[in-house]
Amino acid sequence: MLKGRKFLLFVAVLLTLALVVVGCGDNGNNNADPDNSNNGDAEEIKIGTVGPLTGGAASYGVSVRRGVEIAINEANEAGGINGAQIRLIPEDTGGDATEAANATSKLIEQDNVSVIIGAVLSSETFAGAPFANDAGVPMISPASTATGIPQEGEYIFRNTLADEVQAAQLAEYASDELGVSRFAVMFTNNDYGVALRDAFVATAEGLGEVVEIQSFTDGDDDFSAALTRIAQGNPEALFIGGYYEEAARIAQQAQEQGLDVQILGADGFYSPVLVNLGGDAVEGAIFTAAFYDGDTADAVVNFVSKFQEEFGETPDMFAAQAYDAARIVLQAIETAGSGDSAAIRDALAAIQDFPGITGVTSFDGEGDVIKEVLILQVEDGSFNRIR
Amino acid sequence: MFSQQLVNGIVLGSTYALIALGYTMVYGIAELINFAHGEIYMFGAFVGMIMVTIVGLPFLPALVIAMLAAALLGVTVEFIAYRPLRKSSRLAALISAIGASIFLQNAALLRWGPQSQGFPRPFEVNQIMVAGVRISSLQIYILVISLVLMVALHFLITKTKIGKAMRATAQDKETAALMGINVNRVISFTFAIGSALGAAAGVMVGIYFNSVSPMMGLLPGLKGFVAAVLGGIGNIPGAMLGGIILGIAETMGVAYGDSRYRDAIAFAILIIVLLFKPSGLLGKQVQDKV
Repeated sequence: MLKGRKFLLFVAVLLTLALVVVGCGDNGNNNADPDNSNNGDAEEIKIGTVGPLTGGAASYGVSVRRGVEIAINEANEAGGINGAQIRLIPEDTGGDATEAANATSKLIEQDNVSVIIGAVLSSETFAGAPFANDAGVPMISPASTATGIPQEGEYIFRNTLADEVQAAQLAEYASDELGVSRFAVMFTNNDYGVALRDAFVATAEGLGEVVEIQSFTDGDDDFSAALTRIAQGNPEALFIGGYYEEAARIAQQAQEQGLDVQILGADGFYSPVLVNLGGDAVEGAIFTAAFYDGDTADAVVNFVSKFQEEFGETPDMFAAQAYDAARIVLQAIETAGSGDSAAIRDALAAIQDFPGITGVTSFDGEGDVIKEVLILQVEDGSFNRIR
Repeated sequence: MFSQQLVNGIVLGSTYALIALGYTMVYGIAELINFAHGEIYMFGAFVGMIMVTIVGLPFLPALVIAMLAAALLGVTVEFIAYRPLRKSSRLAALISAIGASIFLQNAALLRWGPQSQGFPRPFEVNQIMVAGVRISSLQIYILVISLVLMVALHFLITKTKIGKAMRATAQDKETAALMGINVNRVISFTFAIGSALGAAAGVMVGIYFNSVSPMMGLLPGLKGFVAAVLGGIGNIPGAMLGGIILGIAETMGVAYGDSRYRDAIAFAILIIVLLFKPSGLLGKQVQDKV
């Protein structure tokens, strides 16, 4: 018995020693011949994502993860970046800001990721960004539109258009292309609606006149009182800073009140539900978006068909922006030549005119995205890109 | 503009009034605040929408079927959630009511999904101008149907045998039972009528705003409750008056004040009424039976 046990112990010690020696030898090799490391199969670069994969906001987080997955699979199938395979480590926050902070720290400290794509909700990004910035790990959010996200630090980037950029460009478009000079504004009383209202009103006042501003709450049904008040100001266009459900009802009740206005909106309009609920009242409505799935550009068609094949549904704006964010990150890794976070950060900051499916993308000095806003219009019950 | 806003307010108020009638009847007879009433209103709207869109029925038959289905649901909720607790404390019944409300909401979420669905207009809607005020034929429909239902309810309660039994039960359950009234059946009937009225409101609101969703009952349910308290809970003309006042107050609040306070107005009214005239506008001050 004892003899057998001793033997087992001896074998175990031997194996352990062998592993250590082999491990050291590998490292030694790398140190001696750095050019060789790119060919090693063991070499991999880790990318983390942070976002809600469960809970009420799960649809956004799942879209983001799927968009990133497609970009990483494409890169790995093409032989990796500089020969290194990319590994995705997705972390779930359940939509909770505290969890986002935990998930970000976990990715940095335990998984040693080179770069993080996320978070998704603005509150999550605000919670997680300080950890990433302090640790010197670049973080790029594909979905957080709140003011002040890129200002969290030099390692924090964003690949989604801020609410205020959309609203300002829409006001300019309405004035320049449609000749509107009398605007009315309705906005949903949350961060999204307030940011849209502020930017739209600020821009529109320079271009014409804002005759009436009314707020509403998500889930409101009855807009008759607010619309009667708006009708008194005799506007030419009504900007609705809110989501598609309320927008459809507002458009319909406006039509019933005989209020003949051009309906304007932002990316909160972008859902087939807008047309299902709004019917002919939303016909002709114009809104901004970062992505149009009906685009005929090769890159968009390729992404949409891959997404449909993989997940059985049409990608939304979140998936498209996440796909672009991931491709931008992959290019930065290629430029950096390794998984070194600081080098990736510098390569990200230097990205110029990246040909994304959500537009030609660059970053400004603070890490905020610069790209043109798409403008879509409802035509015959479906969406059409007009800019 | 004032008269236009008045029309907006009265139409909104008449739907609150219909919801409030269900609350007030159930309270008057069973002394129970039926917090699941808003969900019955939602359920009625869904049944009405399904009848119009999938079965293809015209408006009136769809409305009647929605009212019948909601009556059945109301009786079932009473049987499962309230009847076993009739001898327990009123707090137990209240908690059970909240439970029933959450259960129905989630059942609807499971069955129909969280998105709003369109409720197509089952008839042509025209606009009429009366003295510079725009009124749609839909608004007239809502007012007329609400009025007809309220008059029918008044007739039922004052002129029929079952109405007499309801009034007797409201006054004193034990004595009514001793006089040969089947109290259980009267309470079931009350739930059925109240639920049917709620469903009628649900269908009309669904058409008016062209959308139904599982969460649509929450706020109108609470506002119906406020309207019932405002008019004097247990008092039927009071519920109608309360509903109309609440609708007008809300609309005027948005029209001349700030639309962000729209829901706060209802609850401010509730607090003021409870502080200064807890019996409501038309309610009588009665000694609480302990």
